[in-house]
Amino acid sequence: MRARTPLAVSAALVLIPLLVAVFGPLIPLDPAAGLPYERGPGHPLGTDGLGRDVLELLLVGGRTALGMAVGAVVIAYLVGGVIGLVAASTRHRWIDEALIRPLDVLLPLPSLLVISVVAVGWRASALAITLAVAMVNVPTVARLVRAAALDAASGPVVEALRMQRESWAGIHLGFIGRAVLGPVAADVGTRITLAVFLVASVNFLGLGLSPTAPDWAVSVSRNREGLLLQPWAVIAPALILVAFTLGFNLLADRLVHRTRRMVEAKR
Amino acid sequence: MRWYAAQRAALAMLQLAVLSVLVFVLTALLPGDAADLRFTETLTPDQVVRLREQLGLDRPAVERFTHWLGNVVTGDLGTSLISGGPVVDIVKASVGATLVLTLTTLAVVVPLAVALGILMGTRENGRLDRAITSVTLGLSAIPDFVIAVVLVAVFSLKLGWLPATWVGGELLASPALLVLPVAVLFGRTVCLLSRQVRAGTITALQAEYVVQARRLGVPRRRLLLRHVLPNAAVPGVQELARTGDTLLGGVLVVEAIFAIPGFATALVDGVETRDVPVVQGLTLVLAVAALLINLGADLVCNRLVPRTELLR
Repeated sequence: MRARTPLAVSAALVLIPLLVAVFGPLIPLDPAAGLPYERGPGHPLGTDGLGRDVLELLLVGGRTALGMAVGAVVIAYLVGGVIGLVAASTRHRWIDEALIRPLDVLLPLPSLLVISVVAVGWRASALAITLAVAMVNVPTVARLVRAAALDAASGPVVEALRMQRESWAGIHLGFIGRAVLGPVAADVGTRITLAVFLVASVNFLGLGLSPTAPDWAVSVSRNREGLLLQPWAVIAPALILVAFTLGFNLLADRLVHRTRRMVEAKR
Repeated sequence: MRWYAAQRAALAMLQLAVLSVLVFVLTALLPGDAADLRFTETLTPDQVVRLREQLGLDRPAVERFTHWLGNVVTGDLGTSLISGGPVVDIVKASVGATLVLTLTTLAVVVPLAVALGILMGTRENGRLDRAITSVTLGLSAIPDFVIAVVLVAVFSLKLGWLPATWVGGELLASPALLVLPVAVLFGRTVCLLSRQVRAGTITALQAEYVVQARRLGVPRRRLLLRHVLPNAAVPGVQELARTGDTLLGGVLVVEAIFAIPGFATALVDGVETRDVPVVQGLTLVLAVAALLINLGADLVCNRLVPRTELLR
């Protein structure tokens, strides 16, 4: 057996940034504004290039950094998941084709391109960027869900259930839906990491949120010229972002191995 | 093979058609245009109207689309609303730096990823495999821009070994400029690729034909290179096509950080000034490149393992 990072470590890596993102904005700090790149009393992590307290930015900046990515993945799964399930469970081949073929066409679109085009018109709109990131993810999600559902739907279990006159919902939601959950859970892990990257890159490039927004990625971007003067202004938001993606990567890796073991056990 | 290539090429043509419509619709839908954005402060409203007429922004979208498409087919991507120069020139001026960055990265990444992948795959769950897997897993969790910021801080600001930004001149003429950008791009791509090659190697090693070849006494080296590698390479090549996406995102970020005048700079500028023809042109060129990469990857996979089918 491979020695693996303990579950507690991966979970902590994901949970700490998540908790900071959700509850951080509720913590009243209200520190006085300081000089740019100051370190000293009153500012445990110093100040950033605009004289804002880094700790305060850290507490407030997760909402957009993680919220946009998680929101995008949720939307992508709502849309892509439904498309994939319908395509897999329909008995009419043309419905399957009509749903999946157009996605094949969209698949090779470079994601940052779609987002920069969206950014031309809806600058600094968190909603527009979230929707764009979701749209980029829909084709792959739909195909993944379809493949997983087809695997389950073509097996003998479904045939048996059908012969026992199990209800449509019983077969589709009860059996196929549950069979899809394994691969989906592993995919969500990597997909959230990718979405966080994408949202962060967009914000870093200045195509997304405004350059003064209190967002982790924007903070890294804006304060990078002060890295040697006041490293915490860059390192703190970068670390918390990396902790989240690393944690999710580890969890996804664990899930992939578990599903693979389960598949091997079945054989 | 030929039938597959023909089918695949037909799909690519269809994709191209849909893409060009999509690029145009997305940019045409945008609220506001360059005439609004740039001139409202200096021009009177009826001057804006006249300008819009001159730029052709007042005509219906369908007419603009057919006009645009007709020009695109003949190699004319329109003129920039801001500089007034042809978009083709902007594309030409910016393509070089991006190509150099991408190709250099690939030249470093591909051989290394294949070697690492086979190394890991042949020692599944061995100590070396576990060590490399942990490193790649960790490295692939760090966003490009974080790596870039840290590398710049250490190697150019602190140690002063390498230049932090592009200062002019040819990229190829001064390899020192390329070291940091390529190092940034290298990290994540090599992780993604080597993991795919590793998985492919493990699957291929367990396949019956390999077991049989081994039984027949095929030497290990030949076994790996002739029998395992072609099959192991398939997920790798497919991942490479998908990595194109990751790589492109990375290239955009890297260009922005190191101030390299490539596609990203042109694209971000275009987005900022709402220069629709420039964004359309750059997007179309990049999308076509992505299509061709995918087409190429599929054809290579089919050549390596002819059983792969287009219609799943």
